[in-house]
Amino acid sequence: MSIECLLLGAGQEVGKSCVVATIGGKRIMFDCGMHMGYHDHRHYPDFARALALWGAPDFTTAISCVVITHFHLDHIGALPYFTEVCGYDGPIYMTYPTKALAPFMLEDYRKVTMDRRGEEEQYSYEDILRCMKKVIPLDLKQTVHVDKDLVIRAYYAGHVLGAAMIYAKVGDAAMVYTGDYNMTPDRHLGAAQIDHLKLDLLITESTYAKTIRDSRHAREREFLKAVHKCVSGGGKVLIPTFALGRAQELCMLLDDYWERMSLKVPIYFSAGLTIQANMYYKMLIGWTSQKIKDSHAVHNPFDFKHVCHFERSFINNPGPCVLFATPGMISGGFSLEAFKKWAPSEKNLITLPGYCVAGTVGHKLMSGKPTRINLDKDTHIDVRCQIHQLAFSPHTDSKGIMDLIEFLSPKHVILVHGEKPQMAFLKERIESELGMPCYYPGNNESVSIPTTKNLKMSATERFITSCAAEQGKRRGHKGNLVCGASVSEVIGSSEDMDVAEGILLMNKQKAPKILCDDELAEVLGMERHLVQFEPMVSRIEAAVQSELQRAKAADSGSEGNE
Amino acid sequence: MADPDVLSSAYPAAASSSVRKHPAPLDDSLAASSDGGPSFAKRPKAATEPPTPGGSAASPEVDVLALVSLTAGIYPLARAEALRGLSEVVERADASCSVGSGIVECSYECAVELMRDEDEGVRLAVVRLVGACAQKFSARVDADANGYGDLMDIIFLQLSFMARDMCTQVRIEAFSALGKMQQVSEGVLLQSLSKKVIKTDTMCGSIINGQKLPPKLKIPCAAGVFSHGIEDEFYQVRTVACQSLGALAKFSKQYAEKALDLLMDMMNDDTRAVRLQTLQALFQMATYGCLSVQEKHMHMFLGLLVDTSALIRDAARKILGLVTLPKLQMFKSAVDGLVTSLEKNPEEQDLYGILFSIGKNHGSFSANIAKHLAKEITMASDGELILDKPRVKALLIVSISAPFSNDKHKKLDIPSAIFSHAISLLGKVSCALGDVNQDLLLSYLCHKSGMPFWENRSISAEFGESESCSVQTMEIGAHIENTAKATKCVDEAIVMQSMKAILETVEGAWTMRMSCNICEVRTILRTCKEELNVLAESSSGSIGAFLSFLCEYLDATQLIIEIWQLIQLDNSYTFGLTSVEILLEKLDISIRRMECCFVGLNRELEVQVLELSLIAHLFRLSNIGVCKVVLGKLLQVINRLEGLSADGSYELSGLSGEIKKAFDDNLTGVNLISNIHTLFELFRLKPTTDFGMLKAIRAVLQVSDNDSENPSSYVSGLPVGVSFNIFLWNISSHHKLWIRMTIGESVQFTFLDFSCFGCNDDMKSGSMVAPLYATPMVCSFVLRVCLVMECPYGGNSTHWGGHGGPSDCVVQLSDELDVYFVSTWQS
Repeated sequence: MSIECLLLGAGQEVGKSCVVATIGGKRIMFDCGMHMGYHDHRHYPDFARALALWGAPDFTTAISCVVITHFHLDHIGALPYFTEVCGYDGPIYMTYPTKALAPFMLEDYRKVTMDRRGEEEQYSYEDILRCMKKVIPLDLKQTVHVDKDLVIRAYYAGHVLGAAMIYAKVGDAAMVYTGDYNMTPDRHLGAAQIDHLKLDLLITESTYAKTIRDSRHAREREFLKAVHKCVSGGGKVLIPTFALGRAQELCMLLDDYWERMSLKVPIYFSAGLTIQANMYYKMLIGWTSQKIKDSHAVHNPFDFKHVCHFERSFINNPGPCVLFATPGMISGGFSLEAFKKWAPSEKNLITLPGYCVAGTVGHKLMSGKPTRINLDKDTHIDVRCQIHQLAFSPHTDSKGIMDLIEFLSPKHVILVHGEKPQMAFLKERIESELGMPCYYPGNNESVSIPTTKNLKMSATERFITSCAAEQGKRRGHKGNLVCGASVSEVIGSSEDMDVAEGILLMNKQKAPKILCDDELAEVLGMERHLVQFEPMVSRIEAAVQSELQRAKAADSGSEGNE
Repeated sequence: MADPDVLSSAYPAAASSSVRKHPAPLDDSLAASSDGGPSFAKRPKAATEPPTPGGSAASPEVDVLALVSLTAGIYPLARAEALRGLSEVVERADASCSVGSGIVECSYECAVELMRDEDEGVRLAVVRLVGACAQKFSARVDADANGYGDLMDIIFLQLSFMARDMCTQVRIEAFSALGKMQQVSEGVLLQSLSKKVIKTDTMCGSIINGQKLPPKLKIPCAAGVFSHGIEDEFYQVRTVACQSLGALAKFSKQYAEKALDLLMDMMNDDTRAVRLQTLQALFQMATYGCLSVQEKHMHMFLGLLVDTSALIRDAARKILGLVTLPKLQMFKSAVDGLVTSLEKNPEEQDLYGILFSIGKNHGSFSANIAKHLAKEITMASDGELILDKPRVKALLIVSISAPFSNDKHKKLDIPSAIFSHAISLLGKVSCALGDVNQDLLLSYLCHKSGMPFWENRSISAEFGESESCSVQTMEIGAHIENTAKATKCVDEAIVMQSMKAILETVEGAWTMRMSCNICEVRTILRTCKEELNVLAESSSGSIGAFLSFLCEYLDATQLIIEIWQLIQLDNSYTFGLTSVEILLEKLDISIRRMECCFVGLNRELEVQVLELSLIAHLFRLSNIGVCKVVLGKLLQVINRLEGLSADGSYELSGLSGEIKKAFDDNLTGVNLISNIHTLFELFRLKPTTDFGMLKAIRAVLQVSDNDSENPSSYVSGLPVGVSFNIFLWNISSHHKLWIRMTIGESVQFTFLDFSCFGCNDDMKSGSMVAPLYATPMVCSFVLRVCLVMECPYGGNSTHWGGHGGPSDCVVQLSDELDVYFVSTWQS
């Protein structure tokens, strides 16, 4: 048995996350995102090609379920296209907050793209609504039986409100797809949290495969210092953010600081979306950090005291202000509008998010210090304002990725959602330091992971008794506690102490059974295998060593080897 | 899927396997050890018993063996329990002997194997066990430092790995275990602060404190564990992380510096508990002298001095009082900060003490301040300078602290004007210095300021520089604690003093009882009682218990006087309930309370109580006439008194002697009654002030969610449950407590089984639901509830005999509560 893993997106790149894992005949699609940097066919994952590969008549039969980890467009953007245009009609799972917030994100993006380019609309607002109707909401740690064999479960991932890591299991084969996650808590979200699971495969994001970030406290201090300096100099601060997540965290930080320093400079939210999002945050307190959960009864931290009502015309007002505008990478929309207005003045400050997709204005600002940005053929913007690179990021850093991998200790690791050189570096580290095979396939490539299969078998009483006796003895030996084992015993102080000897009897009709050496005489022609012995007495789950020569066993009943 | 017969067949096998080995020849390790003898001698005994966990305490090896084999089981709860058992064994093990160290090693190995267990509970137990093992290891490390140095590093890294666990409890436990580590090499400590893996090959050459660094960081996860810890989502984890961060600082200077940076960031934490713990950690670092404050940190400290929370301010000040600031500028800003704090919160007088010690720690800086201040004083000679200004006061204190500093090598001349001005601050200065004789201080100040003083002794020799110069940082920390203790002692002394004064008044009043107006005596007693009550409320422990005992005693005294007055007025026998009867009953209750509600009555106190009960019985005799029952009780009391005086160290008082004589003469009660006047004359009130380890039995009864606005509902005629929260102080298992529930005339007793209550030192607490069986057929009623205790001895009045309640007389322990009920069924 194996896990077949096909990357439809986010292979050696960031954007359009979409991984299809086939476990024991069940196909699960993790995330269904779009790529924000492209506007051609690369915009969406190549679903048609995958369908041809699988040789299935349609998507509904080919795929058992779709699981969406969180509401960012590069994880959910292609979902309405997939369901409404491609015609997938199977179950779709996502957490409650994701289900609540996703329509806003999708609709916002649809409108923005329509405004800007008049680009051919891939799906309509009605499509979004129809698509969301098919969604089955998930709760954290809720075990969902998708069908008889397939089980999925969501774990808290930090990152954004409602982000989840997905555990999927078919038979004995189990895997986790992390989606995006954060191992350190921030002002409003907790850290990722998962149980110790026995995994064959871990698919993890690797946005910061090489970076190790310093402490959050220092980051906050620097951000506040920059903003305070700017507004006290009479400048305007533009903070382009995603509507959900970063905006709330930064705003909590600023609101708190404004309170402490008793500042009077207004803080604005540009879009109604953000304000609506704040409302959702207030409702979804259960998904936020411990601190907020503890204190929201007294004061809801999403009731910002210093945030003022905003009109579009305020953009031309004199005097200092702080403006949160979408989208985060200044790829269009209101943040671009404000950027055009404010960039030419030295007094102003633009903060940039931690990560910008290539091709966006944000990316251009990040790479080097441009004085002039060409939007298109006839539009140029002079950039004289200060630029503050936000080190805030909802993604975990390389230390966090390593920590998670080490904690889960899966048998194999696949890296997605990162840039190729950094992924190669991280792969090296994982293989050398943790000793796990690691892969980072590109888009439309697939990886096959072997899985273990556990076989239940019974054992004779004598076998168990002798094993338990050996075990007790060995334990004692280790600590030099029991001294002087009688020399006649065969079991010495060799390295592989946990191996017990026995004979595995396999028969097509009967359940497999383990016997002692000398019991072999009772039954003729038994096959001998080396078995792994789960310590203690009550249950033996032996792992059959590598090649079970089933065929031969079927022919002649059995055959002795070793 | 436990198969019982498999289990049963496996156990004897395991046992027999260990049995087989015992008589076998000695292994090398034991043969080499010196004390192999005794442990070998234990073997045969152990071999006869099956290795049940916790069974054979005599041979811990067998326990360990059994527990270790259990840790490999498939049930997580069993694994965790086995690990907990191992920690118990390890904690008791003596690591210095070879058997003990074998146990510790074996347990440690076992714990390490389970470090990545799937179950949280098991991992939690692993952390505890590893922590316990580490302590045992470090206890014996001195034997061969090189061998175990590496081991301690490895344990530190393993614990660091556990501190990145997903389970909050595990993280908390891991951080607290990290804080207790010792003999960790500097490289490993530094690595715990930085998430980036420090290249080990650069440090391989450097051997710090004779310990080699571990060759390679085998667990990459362990890096920067503290920078993760202080960012944790849960404040409990952050708190422990801060604590451990500070605790480890004493081992390495370089580490301390970097840890300080991390801790400084924690001052911005959004939870106050974390901020306080951070300050506590800094204080600890300062006491160990490893806190080197730099300019960049000053801003944070000054902010803390004007924090809105008094606790934070206080903690920040204490730290400032201990640190050494490298620059004059920093010193000045610190003093300014303290002055601002003083101006904002003038009620916080302990600030002067801090000012004094900060001044003393920086002799030359404070001399500098003194010079400027002297100039200021002379400039403003026409009275502009007002000494009341907090700033001037503060600076004066700082200035006069300079001569006490450690900077011996520099001659610090403080202008005499400073000292003459400081005289007016005598009280504050002496306060700042701790307990210093004010006269001595005054003479010192006068001497320094060149003023003539009435006592021209050589003051400096007796008091002054020489005395406090050699104070080290450590001692100052201790001194601060001592002062806190001293104030408590002082409080107690004051209470004792006023208590004695009160008792003298009481004795005086007692002698007045014959001659003077009874009313006056009563007033005096009442006032004394009130005073005692006030004292009792503010004290705790034995003294508090004694004060409440005295209140009770005065109650009884007052009752005796009142009864005596009534008896004198009307000496004829009366029947039925008279006021004397009521007063007698009250006296009985009062005496009973003294007998039963205090634990640890010493002999004097017991004699006091017994004499009171003698008087009470006499009164009863005189009231109701000769009565066998009362006489019997009287005899009991006399016997008890005799028993107490049996060893000869105490003599029977006049009263008891007289009554005993009457009994010895085998007379009936008649002559006692006729002699009552003489007998009463003999009674002396001698309250003792020696109370020993007296403890008061107390109880508080609460009913949840019930008041007159919010009554509980019931169906009339059917039983109803009343849920109580109960808190018990100094109650032990032999006490019998009952809940008394009264509705009008009918009483129901419910026995209180407090064996399952949570216990915490002297206090037990718990909650229970008591059923009230017979609810009345009315639409609402008030239930009166209180906790009563059965008297262990004494009275044989069986008031409640028929109700299945307490058999003997009872003492009410808690206040009576009203519980309101409303019928749900209303037609």
